[in-house]
Amino acid sequence: MTSKPVIMDHFSAVHTSFVVDFQFTNNITILAGDSGTGKTASFLIIKECMALNPDIMCLNYLDFQKDIAGMIKAAKRKLIVIDNADVLLDDNIRKYIAVDDNNQYLIIGRNPKNLFATRENLFELISEERGEQTVFTIRNYI
Amino acid sequence: MITIFKNKNDIPQDMEYVEWNDIYFNQNTAAGLDDRAEKIIKIIDGAELISKYKICSKFNHIVLDVDRLSAGCKTVLNIVYNPDKVFCIKECGGNALEVLYGLASGNAYSDYALIPFEMNGVNVQTASYKKEIMDYEELKEWWCSDE
Repeated sequence: MTSKPVIMDHFSAVHTSFVVDFQFTNNITILAGDSGTGKTASFLIIKECMALNPDIMCLNYLDFQKDIAGMIKAAKRKLIVIDNADVLLDDNIRKYIAVDDNNQYLIIGRNPKNLFATRENLFELISEERGEQTVFTIRNYI
Repeated sequence: MITIFKNKNDIPQDMEYVEWNDIYFNQNTAAGLDDRAEKIIKIIDGAELISKYKICSKFNHIVLDVDRLSAGCKTVLNIVYNPDKVFCIKECGGNALEVLYGLASGNAYSDYALIPFEMNGVNVQTASYKKEIMDYEELKEWWCSDE
């Protein structure tokens, strides 16, 4: 599904020698790709920002016992970042996310089922060493 | 070769199913890592296992606890070190799937097809049969069928 980001089109954060610098072009960004590319590391850097930035909500496997669907449906004007999404999200909440225009989503997973996703939604993580830092960016998944 | 289940109900009752590979790895598998893990960690995560619980990351070469391995790498290690259990493979990227499909044994579950481009044979198991599949298209067809 193609739609403009409703919360932010750019997110950047620094965590010691790591930098996350994401440009969003769609309201639902599905971050896929090989294992070990730094997706969960990026998630943790974004999650750290959640402490200071009220526009961000992060969910991962540690939230499995919580009412994930309720939390997402109650969220307003958030960038919702979901790691472990392939196991965490069921079909019903995927369908809700697909049409939710109150929030923006960064979904870390490989299964686009029920998200009405197209190639425009699929991204992979790129890492680049700049001096002593590693910078994570995203690009369309080929 | 590994054995694949596509329906949780097909998993024998005496085999435990593990959905959250991160947790199982951190609480169980990590303590048993040995030489077998080195190559797997190197191939999937590009990291070096430098001691029993420590890796040298490919990112900035920092030393991390093995709990920072990727979910895909942890999944493959869980399968290698726990052949009596069935593990969800939904968090495996293509590179982890390639290693997974090359294992001599182990048990995996997903309700949708997860197949690397290069594959050798696998066993597929339902409640009524277990059979060998050597071909990508045949495996994809089995996975997508409603049987």
